[in-house]
Amino acid sequence: MGDAPAAPSRIGLVFTTDVVGVPSSFSDRHGPQYYKRRVRHLTPICRQQHNVIHSESFRKSYKIFAEWSTVPAIETTALTKRYGETVLAVDGLDLTVGEGEIFGFLGPNGAGKSTTINMLLDFVRPSSGTATVLGYDAQTETEAIRERIGVLPEGATLYERLTAREHVEWVAETKRADTDVDAVLERVGILEDADRPTGGFSKGMRQRLGLGMALVGEPELLILDEPSSGLDPTGIQDMRNLLRAEADSGTAVFFSSHILSEVEAVCDRVGIMNEGELVALDSIDGLRDEATGGATIELEFEAEPSVDLEMPALDAIDGVQQTTVEDGVVTAVCADPSVKIDVARALDQRTTVTDIHSTDTSLEELFNQYTGGTAHAGSRDSTGSTGESDTRKQEVTA
Amino acid sequence: MNAISVAKRDLLDVRRAKLIWVPVALYVLFMLLFYWGQSNSMNPSFYRIMLSLATIGGVLLIPLVALVAAYLSVAGERESGSVRYQLSLPVSRTDVVLGKLLSRVSVVSGALLASFAIGLVAAWTLVPEMSVEYGDYAVFVALTLLYALAYVSIAVAISAATASRSRAMGGAIGFFFVFNIIWNFLPIGPEYMARFVFEELGLSYADSHLEFIFSLSPTGAYLNGLGLAFPAEQFPGLVGSGFDVFYLQEWFMLVILVAWVVVPLGLGIWRFRRADLG
Repeated sequence: MGDAPAAPSRIGLVFTTDVVGVPSSFSDRHGPQYYKRRVRHLTPICRQQHNVIHSESFRKSYKIFAEWSTVPAIETTALTKRYGETVLAVDGLDLTVGEGEIFGFLGPNGAGKSTTINMLLDFVRPSSGTATVLGYDAQTETEAIRERIGVLPEGATLYERLTAREHVEWVAETKRADTDVDAVLERVGILEDADRPTGGFSKGMRQRLGLGMALVGEPELLILDEPSSGLDPTGIQDMRNLLRAEADSGTAVFFSSHILSEVEAVCDRVGIMNEGELVALDSIDGLRDEATGGATIELEFEAEPSVDLEMPALDAIDGVQQTTVEDGVVTAVCADPSVKIDVARALDQRTTVTDIHSTDTSLEELFNQYTGGTAHAGSRDSTGSTGESDTRKQEVTA
Repeated sequence: MNAISVAKRDLLDVRRAKLIWVPVALYVLFMLLFYWGQSNSMNPSFYRIMLSLATIGGVLLIPLVALVAAYLSVAGERESGSVRYQLSLPVSRTDVVLGKLLSRVSVVSGALLASFAIGLVAAWTLVPEMSVEYGDYAVFVALTLLYALAYVSIAVAISAATASRSRAMGGAIGFFFVFNIIWNFLPIGPEYMARFVFEELGLSYADSHLEFIFSLSPTGAYLNGLGLAFPAEQFPGLVGSGFDVFYLQEWFMLVILVAWVVVPLGLGIWRFRRADLG
């Protein structure tokens, strides 16, 4: 489990960077442009004090700034959704996403990501717990929220008899936003199909249009449920660029995915859901630090190890966490890279090792550990992760 | 206000749906048939045409037009998930239902008004010797529109209360059979059941009570309200209830029809507001 989010302190850092001039690692993404956007959100009195920030009112204005900045984009407290007696879709979720943050919400299918998003959007009512979006209660102040956010719902169909242009016009009108419809369509790359009914669109085009609709009206927060589904690699790259540009202008982005690589390229922080619970919450760097601890070695050998070469022998080596044998390849997950040589030696004593592959634990594997490791029989959805199947294989071979 | 944005988008969408127009075309076809029938008659009567329109049209076609136009209005979006696009925008669930009602009512009333206008043209061209009763025709059109409004409201309400296309269709067909065919036309309707129960229990009852039960369905109220548009003395037993009690007067039929607009809609909104749309 990660720590509480760093949103307020981070904004404090941005503040320091800009005003006092302390260099910051956030300056690439959260440079002056980011700051400008933030200031736009301040109340007039704050802005005034910001101008005389080096005067004695500095402290006071900082305090106001800090108070203002503690309104998180998303905050859930013990958020729980039960379906019937047996199914616990989301179990006591505590999550805070800061303003201007790109937050990746990860997990295998059926982990509770969409249910969480549906509760934030008031499509589904929580069984218990609370959620706020931009400081507004997700159940009682839905219209205030919907005026300020852009949403790409999961698996929702468009109106197939309406054209792409009519869709964007409709969103702009409902949000009372003054929007250049062509610019929006251009931005998501479907301007040339603007006047075709969406019934004839490919999945990728629909997804692009959905993304465009979410961007209408300069939302303060984007909630995107599996935004990359149906997109080709170019589309995914375009989407990433778009999310970065939005975040640069100060928009918070909350998006879900079941693919880690998609998330790591853009996210400030990720939360990993599994079976309705948040099993990890950290920055990508934090996850990576954790991931480098482990290492995997794969050894190909000539003949099937005889019975006395059973895995417990390798498992007994200090620092070996997990071993599997399949198709003449032994895979051992080690707590420390230095243990790999011990595994190689131990196996070499028993059989002829023909090849060795060595890898550090990737984020992907870490993700699998988080989401597969806690899987148990009777779970609502098969996670299908390698972590789980590894465990099963081990049970069979051991 | 937000309901209007829902209605505008829905109107844009639904008027391109071909299925909506099939029952309307059927209605026009029947209407032309009635005019043609009168054109072959020795002394053509405008009231006869109106009566045919009221019975065949009122019993079968108006409910069909309205139910087909509206039964998918909310449930279809819920099944396809597009309601999630709709509800991501600053509109409430009540706005969605009201907007749907607005748009479907304007489609249905627009189509019916066009049909009635075609009817007038047919009257002038097919049966020029017949005198058209414009005043009564206007009342008849207004009453029929109210009746259609009740059915659209019922269909939107059923749609709002159901989660899928198939259930909405089942609900709409079920309503049509129970509150139209069975209630008013089959000898197993509640009117007959009530008589049976009264007699079994040895309770006294008046025919007006049974007639009131008959009038409680939208179709019953419409048929008993027709006296507003017809000279009742010319059509004894066919138009108007023939009772003096207040709850069988024509104005009370209007009250019943308005209740059929308001009550189902309220229930539908109530259900839709509580629904999980995951």
